[in-house]
Amino acid sequence: MTTLSIDGFIGLSIALLAISIFGILTRRNFILLLISVEIGMNAAILNFLFFAAFPNRSPFFDGLQGQSIAIVLVGLAATEVAVGLAIVLALNRLKGTINVAEASSLRE
Amino acid sequence: MDFWTELDQWALLVPLFPALAFVIIGSLGERLKRFEHGGWVAVVFAGVSMVLGFLIAIGEMLGPGTYVDVHTTWFTIPSSTGFPKGFSLVMGTLVDPISALMLIVVTLVGFVVMLYSIGYMHRDTGLPRYYAILSLFLTAMLGVVLADNLLMFFLFWELVGVCSYFLIGFYYAKPSAASAAKQAFIVTRVGDVLFLAGIFIYFSIYAAVDPNWAASGFLFTNGNSAFLNLGVGVNSNLLTLAGLFLLAGAAGKSAQFPLDSWLPDAMEGPTTVSALIHAATMVAAGVYLLVIGSLFLGFTSIDDFAIVAIGGFTTIWAASMACTHTDIKRVIAYSTVSQLGYMVLAVGAGFAMVGLFHLYTQAMFKALLFLAAGSVIHAVTTQDLFKMGGLRKKMRYTAFAFLAGAFALSGIPPFAGYWSKDDILSSLYGQLAIHPEYWPFYLMALATVFLTSYYIFRAYFLAFEGPTSREPGLADHAHESPWVMRVPMLILSGMAIVGGMFVFIPGFASLFDPALTSAAFPVTLPLNIPPSYPLIDIELSAISVVLAVLGILVAWRLWGNGRIAPLPKSQPARAMHHLLAERYYMKRAYDWIAATGAYSVARGADFVDRFVIDGTVRGFERTFAGLSQRMRKIQTGVVSDYAAYVIAGLIALFVIVLFVAPWLVSKLGGG
Repeated sequence: MTTLSIDGFIGLSIALLAISIFGILTRRNFILLLISVEIGMNAAILNFLFFAAFPNRSPFFDGLQGQSIAIVLVGLAATEVAVGLAIVLALNRLKGTINVAEASSLRE
Repeated sequence: MDFWTELDQWALLVPLFPALAFVIIGSLGERLKRFEHGGWVAVVFAGVSMVLGFLIAIGEMLGPGTYVDVHTTWFTIPSSTGFPKGFSLVMGTLVDPISALMLIVVTLVGFVVMLYSIGYMHRDTGLPRYYAILSLFLTAMLGVVLADNLLMFFLFWELVGVCSYFLIGFYYAKPSAASAAKQAFIVTRVGDVLFLAGIFIYFSIYAAVDPNWAASGFLFTNGNSAFLNLGVGVNSNLLTLAGLFLLAGAAGKSAQFPLDSWLPDAMEGPTTVSALIHAATMVAAGVYLLVIGSLFLGFTSIDDFAIVAIGGFTTIWAASMACTHTDIKRVIAYSTVSQLGYMVLAVGAGFAMVGLFHLYTQAMFKALLFLAAGSVIHAVTTQDLFKMGGLRKKMRYTAFAFLAGAFALSGIPPFAGYWSKDDILSSLYGQLAIHPEYWPFYLMALATVFLTSYYIFRAYFLAFEGPTSREPGLADHAHESPWVMRVPMLILSGMAIVGGMFVFIPGFASLFDPALTSAAFPVTLPLNIPPSYPLIDIELSAISVVLAVLGILVAWRLWGNGRIAPLPKSQPARAMHHLLAERYYMKRAYDWIAATGAYSVARGADFVDRFVIDGTVRGFERTFAGLSQRMRKIQTGVVSDYAAYVIAGLIALFVIVLFVAPWLVSKLGGG
C-alpha cells in the first residue's frame, strides 16, 4: 500500500478555496454567492479533517480535536446558511430581486 | 509669652476682617441697602481691623525690635538643580517694626476713607461693588504689609493691582475711566513682570549660597544671612540686575519715571479711591518693596545709584507738571508722584527708614488733601480749579483740612511733612561727601521743595481764596460736607499737624530705629531722626523752609486773593508751559511706542497666526478633504466589491508575513 501524502489533500482544499473566492468575486446572484461562501467554508473544514488524518504533520491538534472542530464548523456553516437565506428572502421582498449589485443603498 | 507677643501671632486676623466684609458685601449686595449698600459693614470691619492693627503696632512699640513670624508651608518641592535642599512656598505673617508702621498707615487711612465714602459716594450707584472691592483692596494691602516672604508678597501685590484696576474703572461706562484703568493695569504690569524676574534671580542666587533659606521658604527673617554669606563681589552683576528688576517693579507701582503717567490718569476713579489707593497705600507699596529689598535682599552700589537717580529725577519731573494742571485731583496726583520720588531717593541713598518715615507722613497728609479735594468736588461738582474760588467762607472745615495738608506737604514746621522731608534732605546731604554723584539729585530734590509749596498753594488759593467763584454761582451753592466726611478729615488733619512729631515719642521712634533693626539683621542702615539733629542740619532745614515759604509767597503773588496769573509773555516760557501742560509729551511717547512698536509686533503675531498656524491647520484640512473626496468613490455599496477588498487585504497580509517580513529580518540581521 502506497503511503498517501497530505499534499494532494491540501491541494484539493486550495482548489476549493480558489473556486469559492472566484465565486464570491464574480457572482451577482445571492444564492450562488452563498454557495460560494459555503464551498470556501468546506475547504476549511476539510483542512481540519486532513490534518486530523495526518497527526504527524499537524503541530497543534491530535486527530480527535481536528474532527471535533470540523463537527462544530459544520454546525456553524448551517447557521450561516440559515442567516444567509433569511437575508435572501428579505432582499427579495424589499427589492424584488436577489441580485446583490442592486442592494447598494449603502453607497455614498 | 506675654499678651503682645501672643497678639502678634494672630496678625492674620487684621487682613481677615476686611476679607470677611468683602465676602459679606459681595454675596449679599443690594440686600444690604439699609446699611448704605454695605458701606457700614465695610466701615465696621475696617474699624475692627484698625483696632487690631493699632494694638499690634502698640505691642511693637512697647517691645521694640520683636520679630514674630507665623507661617504654614503651602507646598514643598524636593531638592533639585539649583535648590540642593529643596524649595518650599510658605504663607504667613511677619510682624516687625516696619510692618507695624505700615499697619498703622494702612488701617488708619483705610478706616477713615471707608467712613468718608459713606458721605462721598452716597449718590452713586453700584455701591456694593465699590465697598466690596475696597474691602478686598484693604485685605490685599494688609497682605502685602504682613507677608513674610517675597512670593506671598508678590501674590498680594498683584491682588492690590487688580483692585486698583477695578476701582479706577469704577465708572466703567465712562470711556476715559475705562481707558485709565487699562493704562494703570498695563503700565504696572510692565514693572511687575520685571519684578517677578528679579525675584527669580534673587532666589537662584541665594539658594546657591544658602540652601536652607530656600528650604525654609525664603522667609524675610532669614534672608539677611544669605546676603551676608554672599560676600562682596560674588555674582554682583546678577545681583545688580535683580536689584534693577526690583526697582522696575517698585517704579511701576509707585509711578516713578518713566512709568509715572498712569497715576495722574488714575484720578478717573472716585476721589476716595485716589485717597486710599493712589496716595496713601498702594503706591507706597513700591517704596515698601524697596525698603524690604534693602533690608532683606540687598542692593549693590549700582542699584543704589539707579534708585537715587530715578527717585531724585521723579521729584522734580512730577512737581513741575503739577504746576500747570488745572484739575485739582491731578495736581495732588502729581504731588504724590513727586513725594514718592523723595522716598525712593531716601531708600536708594541707604536711608530706608527715613524713606519709610516720609511714607508714613505722606500717607497722612496726602490722603487728607485728597479727602479735602473730594469734599470740594462733592460740593461744587467740578474739578476745575479755574472755576472754583471763594470756597473758604462756605466750607470752613474743608478749607482748614486742605490748608493743614498743604502746610504739611510744603514742609513748614511743625507740620508732619517738615520732619520727614527735611530728614531725607539732610540725610542725603550727609552722603554727598562720600557720593558726589548724588549732587544733581540732591539739588533736584531741593528745588522740588520750592515747586511743591508753589503748586499746592496755587491749588489752595485758586479753590478757597478770593471773593467768590470764577464760575458764577458755584460758591453760592456750595455747602459744607456731612459729618461722616468731616470727621475723617479732622482725624487726618490732626495727623498732618502732629504726626511728624510722634518720632519724639521713644516707642514710636523705635519703629525706625536702625540699631534694633541691626540686632536682627546685621545691615548698617544710616538713619536720622529729628531729635538727633546736628547743627549743620538746622542750617539745611532753614534753607528748605525758606524755599517752601518762598513758594507760598510766589503762589500768593500770582494766584492769591482771586487773582489769575496771565500766561507768560516770553517765547521760551510759553514753550515750557506748553510742554508741562502736555506732560512732557510722555503720554504721546507712550502712544507712539504702542502704535509703532507694539502694533508692528501685533501685526507680526497676526501674520503668524493667520498664515502659519491657521495655514497649517487649513492645509491639513484641505489635504484630508481632497483625499476623502477621492476615497469616497470606492464606496460602491456592492457586497462583492467589499469582498474583493477583503481578499486583496488578506493577500497583501500573506505577502507581508511570508515574504516581506522575513526579507526585512534577514536584511536587518535580526534573529
